[in-house]
Amino acid sequence: MKPGATPYLFLLPYLVIFALFWAWPILDSLLLSFQNTRVYPPVWDPGVNWGRILRDAAFWDALRNTLLILVIQVPLMLALATMLALALNSQLLRARGFFRFAFFAPVVVGAVAYSAVFRLLFNPNGAVNAALGLEFNWLFDPVGAMVVIIVALTWRWTGYNAIIILAGLQNIPKELYEAAEIDGASPWQQFWRITLPSLRPVLLFCLVLSIIGTLQLFTEPWLITNGGPGTATTTLGVYLYRQGFQNINFGYASAIAYVITLLALVFSLIQLRMFGREP
Amino acid sequence: MRRILVLGTALAFSLAAAQPLQGNPNLRGEITVWSWDIAAKALEANIPGFNRLFPNVKVTVLDLGNQAVYDRGLAGCAAGGGDLPDVYSVENNEAEVFWARFPNCFTDLNTLQPAASTLRSLFPAFKWTELTVGNRIYAIPWDSGPVVMFYRRDIYSQAGVNPNTIRTWDDFIAAGRRIGAATNNRVKVGVIANGQDDEWFRMLANQNGCFYFNNEGTAVTVNQPGCVTALETVKRLIDAGIVLQGGWNEQIQAIKAGTVATSMFGAWYEGTIRSNAPEQSGRWGVYPMPASRPGGVRAANLGGSALAIPASSRNKEAAWAFVRYALATTEGQITMLRQYGLVPSLLAATRDPYVQQPQPYWGNQRIWQVVLGTLGSVPAARGTQFFQEARAIMVKVQADYVAGRFPNAKAALDAAAQQISQATGLPIAR
Repeated sequence: MKPGATPYLFLLPYLVIFALFWAWPILDSLLLSFQNTRVYPPVWDPGVNWGRILRDAAFWDALRNTLLILVIQVPLMLALATMLALALNSQLLRARGFFRFAFFAPVVVGAVAYSAVFRLLFNPNGAVNAALGLEFNWLFDPVGAMVVIIVALTWRWTGYNAIIILAGLQNIPKELYEAAEIDGASPWQQFWRITLPSLRPVLLFCLVLSIIGTLQLFTEPWLITNGGPGTATTTLGVYLYRQGFQNINFGYASAIAYVITLLALVFSLIQLRMFGREP
Repeated sequence: MRRILVLGTALAFSLAAAQPLQGNPNLRGEITVWSWDIAAKALEANIPGFNRLFPNVKVTVLDLGNQAVYDRGLAGCAAGGGDLPDVYSVENNEAEVFWARFPNCFTDLNTLQPAASTLRSLFPAFKWTELTVGNRIYAIPWDSGPVVMFYRRDIYSQAGVNPNTIRTWDDFIAAGRRIGAATNNRVKVGVIANGQDDEWFRMLANQNGCFYFNNEGTAVTVNQPGCVTALETVKRLIDAGIVLQGGWNEQIQAIKAGTVATSMFGAWYEGTIRSNAPEQSGRWGVYPMPASRPGGVRAANLGGSALAIPASSRNKEAAWAFVRYALATTEGQITMLRQYGLVPSLLAATRDPYVQQPQPYWGNQRIWQVVLGTLGSVPAARGTQFFQEARAIMVKVQADYVAGRFPNAKAALDAAAQQISQATGLPIAR
């Protein structure tokens, strides 16, 4: 045996599993997207799904909702997370360990449990209406339902991102701040000139993860609003699930999955282009 | 659910009687049953009776919720039959997608002993159409869902509304306004799941002889006149401010809180009201749904289910015994009617003396006579394998129409018909 083969031999178990459980399904779903899977057995019909996707109003609704969440929720959450991380990093804060745990905790809570809680909170007779003195039917109003989804997502993921950003903050050399102090820079200037530029790779990491997460978003809209009312909170993930597992149209679901993948790829490339350079 | 109209005649003329089921202490094993809400409880209520005949079969009923049973069933079939129970509940409307896409996922009940074909004459013929493909019988008919109005006697009389005078939807809207006025707008006369479901549209469309598809399942008919009237009525009800908007859970909460004086649903909802609000016993009553125009049809159907046995079941014999006990014996069906209000489609059970009895919870009204009395007038409607796709489109179109995004109901339904046609490949009927 050639000595060069040894590392590949060690990698073999992984490669086999990768081929079986990753590469093959990815290829198979590509093939499925060219088949009419609504007849038994499925037949080859390249236009049936890819042609439908262009004309499908429900698909465009889902795409629009997903992009809406992307544009509103992700920046909101990352801004909040950055502020939270700065607060958690502050020397003035007592019991920092407790707060770090508290803000990270939502990620650990079961999605079904927290979705049920949000449904109760935003019920017409729920705590939110009681606190605000409203009689608003959040989950049955298109805008209201979207607000609930965005609030829920922000509640769940802000702490998670804050912890990652906090790690980034702690990697910024103290000397930079000391030098800035000596030069008479205000805390505000320090934030804009030192903290934020140093955080760029960490923020980029959070941004890419959040965008990919949003493109796949399923849990919250499915459990809290079931994609409704109408299609008001139907995301690409929910629509894919509906087509795949409610209508059992795997061909069409596969086509949607490939659109999501392409979008994720494009967004990631754009961000790396725009923000990926070293400052 | 289709051709319920046949049932009236079938009820009158059928000579078929449910066969007594032979017990068998030698039959052993454990079976799991998937179902939802009161349907699950009703099946559970049948276990003691079943165990008297089959003492060594252990039955476990899992209440997964309606949507989850459907979703997990399809996922299981798509995965080649894994993770499925021994007995599977399926709504008639949704049944065809299983047989069309996964013809081998469920047992052909004719291959079991005794063959399912021996049960054919025990049920009205229309109940079998969505459950059979050629000579194969995939499921046994369970209940049907004739639509009625469940109403609060005390609130109606407080507002001076006599339910016997509510004959049309116009009458109903007027009654809703009076009840609102009498209760300082605290009490509404219905809960419509606008944006989450289109049940009201389906019930009203069915009443008007219209549905998503024609009865052959070959064309989209959702933009035909009966459906247009139905959608217009739904909007009028919402615009009048006499209904709440909410889903299944919100409706039960409203019933408990006494903020809704009427619920329109398939008659199986009887058990839901009775088991969720036992403290309101005696305060409820039943009357037939209002018609779209004076003298029009006052009947429709919503829901109605069947039981199937997945091909992956390891205990088919025990599962089959349970299905036959629960559905094909009068004892099994009357247990479910008595405790949870599931309206039997077993012909012998609809003639059971229990059906004639006054019901204490319902102010001693003979409600099952009212319910079964509508069966003869229910127009046919068929779900086809595209039911869920059509429903998703219709839910959105209804919400948009109610929100004023279409000039009129016809335009909304034309858009729905076009989308359904595009999604299913079926032509729009002329």
